[in-house]
Amino acid sequence: MDLRELILDAMRNLTANTLRSGLAMLGVIIGVTAVITMVSIVEGGRQRVVEAIEQLGTNLIFVSPKTLTAAEQREFSGRSKGLIYEDAQAVAAQIPEAGHVAAMISIPARLRRGDRDFTGTVTGTVPDYQIVRNFHAAQGRFLSQEDMAQWRRVVALGRDVARKLFGESDPTGQEVKIADERFIVIGVMEEKGSLHGQNYDEMIFIPATTAMRRFQGTDKLGYLLVQVAERRGMHQALVSLEHLLTTRHNGVTDFDTHSQEDFLIAMDRTVWTFRLMLGGIAAVSLLVGGIGIMNIMLVTVTERTREIGLRKAIGGTRRVILYQFLIESVAISLTGGLIGIVSGIGLALLLGKLVAKAMPGQGDWGAIISPTSILLSFVFAVAVGIFFGLYPARKAAALDPVEALRYE
Amino acid sequence: MTALIELDGIVKRYRTGPIEVLALRNLTLTIDRGELVAIIGPSGSGKTTLLDILGCLSSPTDGRYRLDGADVSALEEEASALIRNRMIGFVFQTFQLLPRHTALQNVALPLLYAGAGREERERRAAEALADVGLADRMTHRPNQLSGGQQQRVAIARALVTHPSLILADEPTGNLDSTSGREIMQLLTSLHRQGTTVILVTHNQEIADHAPRVVALRDGVIVEDRITAGARVQ
Repeated sequence: MDLRELILDAMRNLTANTLRSGLAMLGVIIGVTAVITMVSIVEGGRQRVVEAIEQLGTNLIFVSPKTLTAAEQREFSGRSKGLIYEDAQAVAAQIPEAGHVAAMISIPARLRRGDRDFTGTVTGTVPDYQIVRNFHAAQGRFLSQEDMAQWRRVVALGRDVARKLFGESDPTGQEVKIADERFIVIGVMEEKGSLHGQNYDEMIFIPATTAMRRFQGTDKLGYLLVQVAERRGMHQALVSLEHLLTTRHNGVTDFDTHSQEDFLIAMDRTVWTFRLMLGGIAAVSLLVGGIGIMNIMLVTVTERTREIGLRKAIGGTRRVILYQFLIESVAISLTGGLIGIVSGIGLALLLGKLVAKAMPGQGDWGAIISPTSILLSFVFAVAVGIFFGLYPARKAAALDPVEALRYE
Repeated sequence: MTALIELDGIVKRYRTGPIEVLALRNLTLTIDRGELVAIIGPSGSGKTTLLDILGCLSSPTDGRYRLDGADVSALEEEASALIRNRMIGFVFQTFQLLPRHTALQNVALPLLYAGAGREERERRAAEALADVGLADRMTHRPNQLSGGQQQRVAIARALVTHPSLILADEPTGNLDSTSGREIMQLLTSLHRQGTTVILVTHNQEIADHAPRVVALRDGVIVEDRITAGARVQ
């Protein structure tokens, strides 16, 4: 049997009634369009979050004090001082995998400069912070070892803070008051944006030593950031780190560790939830599309009963008739799928542009067209055509030629 | 002359709901190669049932049908489709042309099922159309052709596989008398070229064209006569 002729024949029948064919494929078109659009947007969003996370340094381990239960507090009391500044120094000195370590202290404070003020969180940290977080000064400089050694009252301002306090003028070398203490602005940070609810442009950095001696009175840390030099060393670093800190804390595990990987995995889990949801939507819309196709094919078979009778009379076998109608339903679903793919890509790019406009500075496209989603849509469209076309086609193939020929 | 069709004790029983219809009762008939036979009878006489059996569109309930020496009484569906394709050409009262296909494509259809290549299909279909005098209408669709022309396309389609037998079911029933006469002339000339033609009709005037007339009534042959002076024009 000439496949080319069967396909041509199917196309002739489809184009003979464009409105009906169009309506029959509408379900598949809408389904495929929706899936490709949504998958592309989700994929684009995922990609942006991954980029943002990686922009804030790679191969990071976060160490934070654990919130203890009352029982744990009683048990541990007097044994451990908690996460302290010396812990950070010990980690840097004793764990070979740890490339850079940043101790972090957070102090809520109000900044004033003349009649302008800003209330936020002051971060006490170390010079290595800029390497760990990949976050550098755009104007002036970041904190230095000398600042640390001398507990200097110097501050590097996040971009938004600098704007609020100094407007368009250059803040470096100027004075600000942090909780009534005079600080000299040494630099303004580059623009970084927000991630996980933290606006990096509203951060205020002072030396960790200054924060401990002048504000906090203790050397407790808010948290500790450890950058591992190589990704391969992550696991070893985590194990060594936990061992070291537990030893230093007299056998008390009063801290938690997270790796950046954990965040990525958590995000991937969220993305998978989305993907499953989209898969569900796709399945439902393809089901609806398939039912539409089956409906139209059943009508077609009934309408063309006499044609089927004739084709059988002149030698068309059951199998050839089956193929003819299957090819026709696949042609409907496949055409629908292709239209859906094209319109899905178009819609995704359009929405991507809108998203990019709504969130400037996050790259050009908010959407990523994944070849997998296109391939899957294509395969599923064909599968739907075969699955839902099978029953009508079998019905056509099973017709008795005598009855079919004289069908009124 | 050798027998092309040998029917022996053919019985056909139908079941329509609770009623059983005995359409053919013990019918025996032999038709030789090259004959032109008209099967006549009033409606309900069983002539259409006989045509279905002759055309291998349905199998007899009982009895034996030999076509060109081979027993075709109880064929599987695929085998009977093959016999219909290779040995039998059908001409119907309502032409049964595919409306979206051109004359050439309609005529080529049996060759498609025979597995012929595209070039061969088009060449042979064009020849068949030329044989029925429609060489200049090949790319026309059925709705662009007159009734007589449509029936000639249908005859070309029946001829295109060079079948042993042409079965025509009321071939002039939907035509005016002039076109009807033309179609009968065409069928008669096919017969004269050696093709076996069986036509089923209730029209006595049409039957008069045939050298042999078989009359049916209530599923049995009531008359089988050779009209020596058939009006062959």
